[in-house]
Amino acid sequence: MIGQARRNRKPLRAYLQPALVYFMLIIGVLIVVIPLMWALAASFTPNHKVFEYAYPFSWRALLPVDFTLEAYDNLFARGFGRAVGNTFFLAFVTVFVGGAANALAGFAFGRFEFRGKNALFMTIVMLTFLVPIDLTAIPRFILIENIGWINTWQGLLVPGFANSLVIFLFRQFFAEIPQELIDAARVDGATWLRVLLSIVLPISKPVLVAAGLLMFISQWNSFFWPLLVAPRQELRVIQVEISLAVGQYGTVWNELLAGSMIAAIVPILLVMPFQRYYVQAITGTGLE
Amino acid sequence: MRSKQQIVPYLLLLPALVLLLVFNLLPTIATLVESTFVISLRSGERVFAGFANFERIFNDPIFWKSLQVTVVFSLVVNPLQIALALGLSILINQRLPGIGIFRSIYLLPVAVSLNVTAIVWRLLLDKNTGMVNGILFQLGIERQPFLHSVDQALWSIILIASWIGVPLWSLFILAGLQNIPPPVLEAAKIDGANAWQSFTRVTLPLLRRVLAFVLVADTVANFLLFAPILLTTQGGPQLSTNLILYETYRRGFLYGDLGASAAMLSVMLLIVFVIVGIELYVLRGSD
Repeated sequence: MIGQARRNRKPLRAYLQPALVYFMLIIGVLIVVIPLMWALAASFTPNHKVFEYAYPFSWRALLPVDFTLEAYDNLFARGFGRAVGNTFFLAFVTVFVGGAANALAGFAFGRFEFRGKNALFMTIVMLTFLVPIDLTAIPRFILIENIGWINTWQGLLVPGFANSLVIFLFRQFFAEIPQELIDAARVDGATWLRVLLSIVLPISKPVLVAAGLLMFISQWNSFFWPLLVAPRQELRVIQVEISLAVGQYGTVWNELLAGSMIAAIVPILLVMPFQRYYVQAITGTGLE
Repeated sequence: MRSKQQIVPYLLLLPALVLLLVFNLLPTIATLVESTFVISLRSGERVFAGFANFERIFNDPIFWKSLQVTVVFSLVVNPLQIALALGLSILINQRLPGIGIFRSIYLLPVAVSLNVTAIVWRLLLDKNTGMVNGILFQLGIERQPFLHSVDQALWSIILIASWIGVPLWSLFILAGLQNIPPPVLEAAKIDGANAWQSFTRVTLPLLRRVLAFVLVADTVANFLLFAPILLTTQGGPQLSTNLILYETYRRGFLYGDLGASAAMLSVMLLIVFVIVGIELYVLRGSD
């Protein structure tokens, strides 16, 4: 195709094919973007006008033509800020505490030879990676209940710290660091902690960004576990808050959509500047 | 040097592996154990009940109905999502001006949660004033009930799940496409293969591993679909969207019947183990 482009007279097909590709891509884009545009516009619309331009449909449905901050004002007046704060806290603590634990484990699997390495990897990491966490939620719930962690931060946080997908990511990255880098520091008598902090950490930005994004977004979007273990108002995270609002304030559509847009915008703003890292983080394990 | 350092890797592993063991592996085993207990009505204590919970669910038409709905759903949603994801990944793999913008836009649903997706689509699909009906109105097509109809509700759920699923799985297939060395495709072209031939005879066979992974991962993900059901139909109308994970939640947490719930989860666990076994076999076999 590149060879064809260099010729002076391109065959008609050389124009038709890209046109067809663009056409199909644009149809897909409309399916992706229109729901989000409508939801965003409706969240800035007075409640009684949320569906005004949706049925019958007009382009006005996609723009906040009757702009108001009413929904956002009411939402935060009712304490929505608390759910946003809770979710940020949940996500950040998971990224730092969980991230550290997963990075250490990834380092051990990626850089060391030791007895039982494969057995530990296959039985614990691999198995927990393959069994979806929602499937084991009830016994985990009973366990948390026995520890007395229902409706506590511990119950919300601790089960989400260790993440086999993130251990995979770190293992893969650390395994590729040149041995000479580490040997040089070890010969100088550096402890493993020093090697980790002063040699490995500074060159690990790609995997740190990828793992951080993965953990942050999966906690930001988490729903099933927080719904079971911490339904109390003071501990509610954003996905639980908007989802309970579906039943409770079923008719306040603009507030429901405002909450949903806040829930959506944070991961979108995080993913967009780091697209390559994020895509690698989610696709990495499936392909290696 | 290695022998002196034997303790270090274990120390590094300790926090993460203990957490995985306690909060992931143990509950997996406990699901199977829990399914053999019932809560006694008289004392409120958990008592061993053998296979009573399994007998109960196997004699329960609602369980079979939800398994049936889940199977039908899976048979439609997985091939559909993978076919569309394959198509989308081929489109966004074209070297065309502005393709990066399209890739960014298709990443939006991947970042958004299933809950937000379900809430927005529930309103879009509203039978009276939803935008989808608004567009149909402009096209001269009469209102559709969507989530309120026994015939259309499951299809609406499929649409909601696919809005995220198609772009998500296309990322995996795109990565697979990009791993195909260009000389391989050029060689096919020199040998006189047309676009379709080089797709079916070169590209698809090279994507086999990725597609196998996506098929299994997609199947497991859709098998466990929960939030869209809770937020749209709650299993209705007439149990037509009562997918199996929602049914276990209904039993366990709305009706407090944890024994029956755990029995259902054990059955699901078995099914997932079979799917995962296939996954391991496929991924190992083609190394």
